[in-house]
Amino acid sequence: MSQIYDMRLKIEEKIKADGLNAMDIKGKLGLKTGKMLALITPTTPDDPDLISKLRDAAKELLNLSL
Amino acid sequence: MKSTSIKTKVLVALSICLLLGVAGTMALIRYSFEHNARTLAMQSVNDSRKLFDILTAREVSKMTAVGVVLEESAELQKKFLERDRGKLLDFCQPTYERLKAQGITNWVMHTPEPDVSVFLRVHNPSKYGDHLDRFLIKEVVRSHSVATGSELAKAGFAVRVIQPMKDVKGQVIGYLEFGEELGQFIHTMKDQTGDNYGLLLNKKYVDRKLWTESSAAWNRRDNWDDHPGYVVADKTAAERIIDFDGDFAGISESGNVLERYRVGDAMYVRGVFPIRDAAGNPVGAMFVVRDISDFYWSMRRTQTVLIALTALALALSTLLVLAILQKLVFRRLDCIITVATRVVGGDYETAIRTSSDDEIGQFEKLFEQFRRVFVDVMSNVPELQGKR
Repeated sequence: MSQIYDMRLKIEEKIKADGLNAMDIKGKLGLKTGKMLALITPTTPDDPDLISKLRDAAKELLNLSL
Repeated sequence: MKSTSIKTKVLVALSICLLLGVAGTMALIRYSFEHNARTLAMQSVNDSRKLFDILTAREVSKMTAVGVVLEESAELQKKFLERDRGKLLDFCQPTYERLKAQGITNWVMHTPEPDVSVFLRVHNPSKYGDHLDRFLIKEVVRSHSVATGSELAKAGFAVRVIQPMKDVKGQVIGYLEFGEELGQFIHTMKDQTGDNYGLLLNKKYVDRKLWTESSAAWNRRDNWDDHPGYVVADKTAAERIIDFDGDFAGISESGNVLERYRVGDAMYVRGVFPIRDAAGNPVGAMFVVRDISDFYWSMRRTQTVLIALTALALALSTLLVLAILQKLVFRRLDCIITVATRVVGGDYETAIRTSSDDEIGQFEKLFEQFRRVFVDVMSNVPELQGKR
């Protein structure tokens, strides 16, 4: 399992735990990173640039440190 | 890139328009107010001038009528020709008292040519025998007809009527002169208008000795030395009605508005117009002070209401424009952004509703078409198979 997929799972857990609108938040994360969260799979390679963008977006939108 | 929403930019632009609108309205109202105040002040000067002219004409008419009646009095002519000053005074005194009650303060009888001297001053019997070097005297002697006008003499600055006294054969046997102190005019004018007046004379045209004598004759203080270039003949108020630098040449023929000033809650305008004597010399000036408090405060109230209404109207217009923009543009753009975001988040069901056929409506329609294409593409992505 790739690091970036692990990040996706943590994000989804956080959204669920906080009771947020998943479509809204995932949409915003996708727009900020340029990658739809649904397209991140266990086989998605760990692109450092994408990881960095996702980390920043998760911190900004969910206050989640990855 | 600097990020400022269109809503903020529109709000700033409208606020600037609002401020400019209010400032412009205030400037316009201010100009209108100043213009009206100036017009009112000038009207006060003109009104006073007209009233002065009317009163002068009325008094000239009155004194001319008195002169005509007395000139034809055989008894007066007889007493005058007898040259008995005492008997003539006894005869005239009762009539003079009645005339004085009507405002005629001066009554002089002059001998005919070639001497033309004062035979009797009914209002000041102890002074007689002098030769007067005055314009009106010269004029009546020259024309042998009535001469009228304002002139300074021993008894003060007065509007005068001088007419020849003729016997039954039409021969001039002397001259009758009647006069009314101009100082009395300003009190009459005050009674009629409520305005305050001050009459001052240019020392250039006033004889120092005559002024002292006239002051003594009318039991008033000799105020010759109060001011360097002019002397105050009379005034109806002790306030700053006469505040003058002595520049008579600076007073225009139609009059000048000097200032607007405030005392407590009362607002006044002060103006001046020139006074000419019978020879046409600019011998003095009449100052007028009018209380314009009612007009002034009424205008100020109107000004305040107008500014408030303008500001309110502009503020409401701003709110209305913002509300329209919010409903027609911003809210619909927000809706499109929300749907677009959710599509990216995986919501492929929520469609964009086209609410109108306007520019935003066309964009909504276009974006909905784009969304459907996007959803169709996404349905064929292997990673998403079976997740919808």
